[in-house]
Amino acid sequence: MRFDHVSVGYGHRPILTGLTFAIAEGDFLGMVGPNGSGKTTILRAILGTLQPVAGTVHRAAGLRFGYVPQRDQVDYGFPLTAVDVVLMGRYDRIGMGRRPTADDRARAVQALEQVGIGELAGKHLLDMSGGQRQRTLIARALVGEPNVLVLDEPTSGMDLVSTTQILGFVRDLHERSGLTVIMVSHALNEVANYVEQIALVVADGFRIGPVDEILSESVLREVYGIPVEVSAFGGHRVVIARRQPSA
Amino acid sequence: MLETILLFREAWYGALVIGLTCSVLGIWVVLRRIVFVGAALAQLSSAGIALALWAGGFALLAPFAHRPTAVSLVVTLLGALFFGLGGGRRLISSEAAIGVSYAVAAAMGILLIAKAATGEAHDIFLQGNILGITRRDTIVLLGVSLPVLVVHLLFYKEFLYVSFDPETARTVGYRVRSWNLLLYFTLGVVIASAMQFAGVLLVFGMLVLPAVTGLLLATSMRGAFAGAVVSALLAVTVGFALSVPFDLPSSPAIIAVAGVLVGLAWSVRRIRRGTA
Repeated sequence: MRFDHVSVGYGHRPILTGLTFAIAEGDFLGMVGPNGSGKTTILRAILGTLQPVAGTVHRAAGLRFGYVPQRDQVDYGFPLTAVDVVLMGRYDRIGMGRRPTADDRARAVQALEQVGIGELAGKHLLDMSGGQRQRTLIARALVGEPNVLVLDEPTSGMDLVSTTQILGFVRDLHERSGLTVIMVSHALNEVANYVEQIALVVADGFRIGPVDEILSESVLREVYGIPVEVSAFGGHRVVIARRQPSA
Repeated sequence: MLETILLFREAWYGALVIGLTCSVLGIWVVLRRIVFVGAALAQLSSAGIALALWAGGFALLAPFAHRPTAVSLVVTLLGALFFGLGGGRRLISSEAAIGVSYAVAAAMGILLIAKAATGEAHDIFLQGNILGITRRDTIVLLGVSLPVLVVHLLFYKEFLYVSFDPETARTVGYRVRSWNLLLYFTLGVVIASAMQFAGVLLVFGMLVLPAVTGLLLATSMRGAFAGAVVSALLAVTVGFALSVPFDLPSSPAIIAVAGVLVGLAWSVRRIRRGTA
């Protein structure tokens, strides 16, 4: 997939302009930036649900996305079990007006097993924890047999344990299957140790590159506009914003 | 009770058809949190009937007076189109747009009837009179309801996906807006066809109360639909049977029974969750 001088926004008003970058097969890209910076807008352009205001988005033929939305985007008031939700990932393959088959159901259960919650297939969404719901949504994305997995803020609002488990699972999945992964997050520190490429999205800037290149003090200072320190503890990178004198 | 039902069986059949269809569509109305779209569409349908009757006072527009259902259908479908396309949410919130539509339609209905050629004699069209439903009316209701139910059976999973998670549905190629419009269109057709017989209260009540009962009791979507249909048919039958011997208006009696069923379902749900 390649963005060629793309401007994204709503209506005719661009939020981010001049986006030129490529996502290669097998990449693991983390898209990081504060809330409201335009991450989700770029994501929609990647997914093709938002047409760019200007420029061109080139997609390889046969590209199929498995999208994992933010958890609060789905309505947990529906009387649905985990397997019901995962089955939705097969709906477009099943075809309009047709019913899921036993094979579709078996694939849905397999997808739940793949994300480690096979035993919860019959459990209702309402009765699940945040981490279990997130795994269910990942299973739904995987059951459609995508070649790109796209996750929008997958760890938002989760505790430390669930966050680590979800990010670790996505990283393992990428390593095992070679699946291309695009993950959006507002938390640089969470993403920094799991992805291979980082795209920094800020109000008036966009920077993309390998983790080692992007996570340098000079680049982060330039993008965020404040002094930043990049350290390592036990093999993990940590980005710390230096304390600023109060105005 | 049985004699009462048999005495008015034609009306009972018609009310059952209205209850059945509204309860099925009501599941989507409640799950999508568009309950007041149902109320606004019912009120628009009512205003459409009033508009047709008012037009009867003018020689040029007189043909409309003989087709109140057709005028009501057009007005309701325009409303469905408006809400299906987002209800002007770029300028005001959806809730505000629904509130404005509801209030204006209600006022217009009353004003137009007040100035209609035969005046308040036409109130019956706005209030509905299910006891007046004939065999022919039931056939008309079935003619509208059956295709709608077939559409909902056929496209259940499409309606489910775009209702539960429209953003993800869009990423795999679903035309969410088109599916929403189809859903609103079927809602508009059912409301407009039921309105002239059942009135705003019964149509709105049948859209909401049985669906809430079904969803309170259900552990699956199939169970929710089944619960909604059973509670609607039960409410119609019991409300109908009680209204005649006790000299009660039929529609409020049916809604009162449906309300009792919601209360019972709510208690069952609480007990079930308490023991889970």
